[in-house]
Amino acid sequence: MARIELCNLEKSFGAVKAVKDLSFTIEDGEFVVFVGPSGCGKTTTLRMIAGFEDPTSGEIRIDGRVVNDLEPRDRGLGMVFQSHALFPHKNVAQNIEFGLRMKNVPSEERVKRVREVAEMVRIGHLLEKMPSQCSGGESQRVALARTLVTNPSTFLLDEPLSSLDAKLRRELRAECDRLHQALKRTFIYVTHDQEEAMTLADRIVVMRSGEIVQIGSPMEIYSNPVNYFVADFFGSPSMNLVAGEIVQESAATRFRSPAFDVVLPENFKATKPGAVTLGIRPEHVGVALGDNGDVELPVRLVEPLGKDTLLYFDAGTERAFIAVTEGLGMAEITAGERITLSLDRRRIHLFDTEGRRIGGAR
Amino acid sequence: MIKSQRRRATSIVRYIVLSLWAVIAFFPIYWMVSTSFKPDTQWFTWPPVYFPDPPTLDNYLNVWFGAEQYAATQYSISSQKPLISLGNSAIIASTSTLLAVLFGSVIAYGVSRYKILSEVRMFQLLMLRMIPPIVIVAPLSLFYSALGLLDSMVGLILIYFLTSLPYAVWMTKSFIDEVPREIEQAAEILGASRWRTVFEIVLPLIRSGLVATFLFILILTWSEYLLALILTKTQVTTLPIELSKYQGSTEGRVYGRQAALAVGITVPLMIVGLIIRKHLARGFSFGMVRR
Repeated sequence: MARIELCNLEKSFGAVKAVKDLSFTIEDGEFVVFVGPSGCGKTTTLRMIAGFEDPTSGEIRIDGRVVNDLEPRDRGLGMVFQSHALFPHKNVAQNIEFGLRMKNVPSEERVKRVREVAEMVRIGHLLEKMPSQCSGGESQRVALARTLVTNPSTFLLDEPLSSLDAKLRRELRAECDRLHQALKRTFIYVTHDQEEAMTLADRIVVMRSGEIVQIGSPMEIYSNPVNYFVADFFGSPSMNLVAGEIVQESAATRFRSPAFDVVLPENFKATKPGAVTLGIRPEHVGVALGDNGDVELPVRLVEPLGKDTLLYFDAGTERAFIAVTEGLGMAEITAGERITLSLDRRRIHLFDTEGRRIGGAR
Repeated sequence: MIKSQRRRATSIVRYIVLSLWAVIAFFPIYWMVSTSFKPDTQWFTWPPVYFPDPPTLDNYLNVWFGAEQYAATQYSISSQKPLISLGNSAIIASTSTLLAVLFGSVIAYGVSRYKILSEVRMFQLLMLRMIPPIVIVAPLSLFYSALGLLDSMVGLILIYFLTSLPYAVWMTKSFIDEVPREIEQAAEILGASRWRTVFEIVLPLIRSGLVATFLFILILTWSEYLLALILTKTQVTTLPIELSKYQGSTEGRVYGRQAALAVGITVPLMIVGLIIRKHLARGFSFGMVRR
């Protein structure tokens, strides 16, 4: 059991406020991912939960008990570090065994548990090796095993996969997911990688400049970003964001920019005229081969990905306007060709000049 | 000149310069060893004798064992007791060095992890070591005489320990700084106490650095002369003091004996260096290698 409450948590380093008035509850057994750009306070928050940083103010409670003054070792947590932090002078088995030795577990029991855990993360063959002889992926598994063996109520993972290559990252991501399913423990995972957050989390906490921007399930965050920042941060390729303005014209609300002139659906009717940014995900842009689209744009680049094809259009903005189309047929389109596009009206987002979402999106 | 020729020429010049330098650097050591095996007739001869002919152990036997037949020769020196001095030196140098490394590393840990001393204080600590011993030795001998520490082992151990402590702190701190905090934190969250973390994780990781620090300070204390000269009289003599007695005494310059003693002073350091050489290479290159 581990329900973790953060109450008005603040942390300052000198004049810099790293975490500002953070309040949030992590339910028992939940997989929560803190995500945000570097310097957003996510790692500091994790380190406060672990007990390596003292909060400047506010409380951390684990199962209702305030743990602010407890040493890290007395909080019943396990942590996997970004650098893996294996003990270089101990072999893999001794690394895994360390936590059990600190808890005075008898030696036969230790040997048994080390074996079990090593099998669980598939490093049974590495036990005699030194950390320096292990590859990045192997080291990460050892670090996981070392934490697993002590059977903590909560796993804290600080960008555990950031030092690995893409293929290994995917593999170990699946591993983390599997462990969470099997152990039914609370997982708190910190990353700057939105893809990791989307695939692993029950709930995502998006942070920026020490504050929580949005909390929600991956799908909520993806489909209903509360602001420009979240909209831009999640999704690959990222959301198309086009600066323009709202114009009320003959009972219709229209969005206009140099390249676009789109009639907005009913739910944007109350929007005041003025500067806005229109956002739409690439998969919600349809390539209309007929004439009845919203806009005609020249193709800048065609990127066939196999199953899908990415089309990059010139919309008079710095960033290309992207459309994802299924099938290889589109790969035959060549740069320079003008294509008619239609925007899925129900999927349009509008953001005001401060970046806040304006009505509309569901 | 083409590139490969130029590179070859540079390399030849480099070898010549380095070889010359090596000759200059090693010649005194060679001369010391060679003289220690020379019979008294060859100490001063001109042209110099480079290889003792015939080599003799007389100097060693006389100096170290004071053997009867040699002690009786005109070169015997009444007050000589090198074996006792060797024992004194060994005890004084190793004890003060051990103390300095032990206390130094504890202080260094505090500085590295808890910032118990500010940057400025750390430099002040090093400045202490910059004071020339000649400046403090006279007042110190007054203190020592008042405290009854003059001419005692404890007195020398104490002053060597204190004067080498700044080095110990600085050197060990640089090694401790190299140990990533995350490794310690990993141990902590796995249930290790602070002390346990230090003894099980930090100290083993900086072992080579500690050994390098130990040897560095041992060399300083083993060969220290001025403080030993002023703070001791007849009860406690160390080897460097013993060495001085072979020069300028009424019997004239007894180079052969002096060389035999000097070899004896050098050898223990070389033995220690050999035993710990594996650590030395690692210790002295610590931090220069990318992790």
